[in-house]
Amino acid sequence: MTRLGSYLAAPLLGLTLATSAVAQGAMTDVGTPRSETLIVQTFDGRTSNPSQMNPLNRYAHWRGFRELGWSYLWEMDTATGESYPEMADGFPEVLNDDYTKFRVKIRPGIYWSDGEEFTVDDMIYTIETAFKYRDQLTNVTNYVTFLESWEKIDDYTIEVETINSSYDFVTRFGVYTWGSHIVWLPEHVFAPLGDEVVSYQNNDPVLLGPYTIKEYDPNGFWQLWERREDWERSGWGNLGEPMPKYILYKDFGTEETRSLAFVQNQYDIDTFMSPDTIEAAQARNPAIETFSPVFPFHDMNDACGWGVYFNNQIEPYNIRELRWALALSLDLEQVGITALNGQFKPTALPVADTPVTRPIFHEPMRDFLDGLTLADGYKPFDNQFNQKLVETLKAEGVDPAKLPEGDGIVDAFGYGWWKYDPAQAEKLLASVGIEKGDDGFYQMPDGSPLVLEFAYPADWNKILQRLGFSMADSWRQAGFNVQGRQVDNGEFNTNMRTNARFQMTIAWNQQCVFNANWRNNWRQWTPQFVLPADSTDADQRLDGNYARIIDERIFDLVEQGATIPTDAPEMADLGRQIQEIVVEEMYMLPLMSIPTTIPTNSTYWTGYPKQDNFYALPYTWWSSFKQTVVNIEPTGR
Amino acid sequence: MANVTETSPPAVAPVAAEEGPKRTTDLMWLLNPRLAIGLTILLIMGVGSFVLPLFAPADPSLQGTYIRNLPPSMEHLLGTNALGQDIFWFLVYAIRNSLSLGVVVAIGVSIIATTVGLSAGYIGGGYERFVMLITDTVITIPLLPILIILGALIRGNTSFFAVGIIIIIFGWAWDARTVRSMALSLREREFINMARFSGANTPQIILREIFPYVTAYILVGFINVILYAINTEAALAVIGLSKIEVPTLGSIIFWALNYNALFTGHYLWLVAPIVAAVTLFIGLFLTSTGFNAAFATKRGVQ
Amino acid sequence: MGVAGFIAKRIALYFAVLFIALSITFLLPRLMPVNPVDTYIGELQSRASSTLDPEGIAELRENLESLYGLKGSLFEQYISYLDRVIFHFDFGPSFTYFPHPVSDMLANAIPWTMGLLLTATIIAWLLGNAVGLVAGYFYKKRAATILEFVGILLYPIPYYILAITVLMLFAYIFPIFPLSATFPVGEMTLQKAWMIFYNSLLPGLALVLAGFGWNILSMKALAIATSEEPYVTFARLKGTSDMTRMVRYVFRNALLPQVTALALSLGLIFNGALLTEIIFSYPGIGLIMRQAASGGDYNVLYGAIAVSIFAVATAALVIDLTYPLLDPRIRHR
Repeated sequence: MTRLGSYLAAPLLGLTLATSAVAQGAMTDVGTPRSETLIVQTFDGRTSNPSQMNPLNRYAHWRGFRELGWSYLWEMDTATGESYPEMADGFPEVLNDDYTKFRVKIRPGIYWSDGEEFTVDDMIYTIETAFKYRDQLTNVTNYVTFLESWEKIDDYTIEVETINSSYDFVTRFGVYTWGSHIVWLPEHVFAPLGDEVVSYQNNDPVLLGPYTIKEYDPNGFWQLWERREDWERSGWGNLGEPMPKYILYKDFGTEETRSLAFVQNQYDIDTFMSPDTIEAAQARNPAIETFSPVFPFHDMNDACGWGVYFNNQIEPYNIRELRWALALSLDLEQVGITALNGQFKPTALPVADTPVTRPIFHEPMRDFLDGLTLADGYKPFDNQFNQKLVETLKAEGVDPAKLPEGDGIVDAFGYGWWKYDPAQAEKLLASVGIEKGDDGFYQMPDGSPLVLEFAYPADWNKILQRLGFSMADSWRQAGFNVQGRQVDNGEFNTNMRTNARFQMTIAWNQQCVFNANWRNNWRQWTPQFVLPADSTDADQRLDGNYARIIDERIFDLVEQGATIPTDAPEMADLGRQIQEIVVEEMYMLPLMSIPTTIPTNSTYWTGYPKQDNFYALPYTWWSSFKQTVVNIEPTGR
Repeated sequence: MANVTETSPPAVAPVAAEEGPKRTTDLMWLLNPRLAIGLTILLIMGVGSFVLPLFAPADPSLQGTYIRNLPPSMEHLLGTNALGQDIFWFLVYAIRNSLSLGVVVAIGVSIIATTVGLSAGYIGGGYERFVMLITDTVITIPLLPILIILGALIRGNTSFFAVGIIIIIFGWAWDARTVRSMALSLREREFINMARFSGANTPQIILREIFPYVTAYILVGFINVILYAINTEAALAVIGLSKIEVPTLGSIIFWALNYNALFTGHYLWLVAPIVAAVTLFIGLFLTSTGFNAAFATKRGVQ
Repeated sequence: MGVAGFIAKRIALYFAVLFIALSITFLLPRLMPVNPVDTYIGELQSRASSTLDPEGIAELRENLESLYGLKGSLFEQYISYLDRVIFHFDFGPSFTYFPHPVSDMLANAIPWTMGLLLTATIIAWLLGNAVGLVAGYFYKKRAATILEFVGILLYPIPYYILAITVLMLFAYIFPIFPLSATFPVGEMTLQKAWMIFYNSLLPGLALVLAGFGWNILSMKALAIATSEEPYVTFARLKGTSDMTRMVRYVFRNALLPQVTALALSLGLIFNGALLTEIIFSYPGIGLIMRQAASGGDYNVLYGAIAVSIFAVATAALVIDLTYPLLDPRIRHR
């Protein structure tokens, strides 16, 4: 064995070294020059049907299609929170007072990647196909339940009518954040297929964006995009010249593998790496950067925030004092340090604290929070939370140069959060008869044990997993018998939707208010999305209002908002009123903004969006990526 | 049962069957250096993990008790981890829990596998076919996907005890098959025939002639199943399919991996449970092969 | 009972096992607290920023349920499942990737799994048994104890750690292999085959190391046990050499259980090596199963598990039918 082994070893080693040298030199593994290729980690890992590119059915949306392949009528400027026209020519003209009829013009001079022009015929065809095959397609519900009728006026003008009044027409017919509901299909490619459209794979797609698909991995790990020669004639060619000639989306695997690959400069932008891994990576490779060089290091301007949702329809979560007691028994400072290295921005309102939302909601509501009083005159809001956090971080050994000072503390860590006061929590609970038993845990008034089930994500969302784990521990230390359950993605979903299963969870979907148009998220707080407290049947699944808001006052306010233009001051005011009720009753417990722990590598490309160069959010899977692609520069290596 | 996938069920060398059953009052023949070392290790770890917790300064599973990621010192023998827990004390509790689980599972598997295997092998006929049908079905169903599916149930609503039950359910089939084949070959041996001709009935034969043979195997198998249980629980925990709030060797590794301890340089957190697991295994293995060797000596073969 | 009778009974057992296992497989995913329809609706809702109204969702739910084949009572679904799988080998469309057929997904992934695991299993078995045999036969020598020690050290290390260590050693500290494979697209050329082989070396190494330790230990134990048999002592007294005794007597007899184990391992290949695939980004069926389980994709789970059941049951059948040929003692029963 040994003699044979040594004979084999030398040539084998030589071969492998040679191959790896080629791979790591000037060319990427897919045969493109590294200096012209931007490599990003895919948002959703690996896909199992990569050849499916027909947007009428489920497909790997986050493989670059949303940013590079499709184009939309109106896009979202993530830096300001305002929509801007992409393929549309200006904003839609509202044709009636009810806001149901609109006239939309598109820009002439937009061409598909095969040279055909994009006209209203494509739009009409897309809408009609969706309606015609609505019971065989899985991806069209969004717009077949939105549009009533449509009519072509000329090649570049279309008039549509919506089923209900739509004050947010621009974001529903265009983009709000994640993507558009409607992906425009090339009529000249799809129409000849007739009924085959339903199962058509479309795996050599004709696209509107400035990139086309050069190659993709049949095993679903990567996809390579190449810039079109005629990028100015593409759907968003008017934004500027996309700098990378090639963009490779690849799944580099688990965080262990990704961190190693990132340090080796194998790719340029990651998605959601844990904070401590990023710090360790930076220590090994100074080309790795976070959004900001000081705390909290990462961009905190995601549209959504994280919070704890309660099942307000069942015992004991329908007891207001219990919810407040949970808020006051959570040591968020300690939890944030354990789970996130202290790199978080707390918010007590159900809206994330961003430069867009702060002037609308957080700043005007400071007095409300400071003055908020509970039953016995206790003021639960702690506006020194941010200061204390900075002190604790210093005590833990964080370099003071990286910590903010003065006004920077509020910018970095928000206005404050609830006090950590388990003693007060105990008083609150005692007022409704809940006291600690012999085992140190709280019991219901009749002596039965109070067991709270808290479902939080498993490996599929690492940071929430850590947060949930630490939160459960924090509550247990305060006397609550919290049973933490780590659940897979599917079960997390099912759990949230089923009244009979759901108790407490940590999620984000009720806190996605990006700008003054709060209806885009809270329109789901209506009686239509309230089910009986014991519903388990298949056709009684909840599809909205997961916070189980059942307060009539909120329903009324939400309805009022339906009749007001989204940019009117009354709209923001209604939003504030809703939040006041939610906070007073503690219907949900907001925690923090979603930390976008997205590190970048400046070895091959620079100019990524950063705190001091904030032209877009740092996501590679949103509208922001279009701006990034247009703004970055190659380093020439 | 060698299995290149990540969890291996237990298997052990069949003890060579020789002359008549053992009779012993004097246990000195048991001792040999291998066995002595093995038992010592087991004793230290076993007693230590049950006695030491009485002196623990705080409940080691509480988070944020200490400052995170401290290096080893007099106060924290192995330092602290990213959750603010003392690594040494957590490890002590973990060893205790893992060992307890291992012993419980070993008892369960041994009882079931021996009963099923012996009776099937010896009695034969329709009874054996039926039993083997069940056994084979259990073996055939692939373990990992079932565990993944059950994982959702484990994580959700069950206790740590249930993890043990599940490991038992999937562990007994292998051993039963092996015991059965041993019983099969034993059945044809001379001394069995002699016993049968002397008028002994089936249960007597099983108990007095066959059973002592398999005792050696059972003892060794028992120890191996402890190991299998600990390993499987650790493997499950690493994938995240066990109850990871309970301190076990597996959950330490799970959280150490989750916080990327290897990459961020917090090696002790990850290395300590592995060293503990390896030591435990060495102890169990030496004990197991020590017994094996002792029985062989007793039989006068070496 | 003649040979024909024995074979017939064994084959009957084979089908019985298949039927029961498949039935149990049908039930198990239904026990999961995951509903595949919900998962997809949840995804659509979040992409639509929760703008779907209840009527729209109800309609979508109807659609999905009939497209997925989830209508009707559990018993009806069970019958149609059995019919589809046993008589047509059709596992239907995947839910997560509707309407992609499950058979396509499996057909893509199985060659990878088979290639990697087949090679790794056989190599680990050969190496481990060779080393174990030598160590077992010469168990009194120092080298044997050292080898045994290697096995002891390797065996209890959790596989995940072993794999990550291998990864860090050979893809990061000494960057010989790539951290994550990039398999070339297109026709199978020599270049492509070489790339596949090259990228599979690292996961293969991890698997071999994992199985290697086990094989050493078990073979050594078996070899020791077998060398105690009287016929080996007799051979020694007869004057045969160590090598002859080791190979012709000990090895051939100790081989039997190991061959059984090998055959069953090969059947178990279709479990996929989930951790390996996750860590090394290897496109096998383990990953598919994991995704399917967390998303509640029943059809994919049925497909993957059914393939595994077929493989293991067939392997067991083959062993049982050939075992009498290998061990004459069992022949008369």
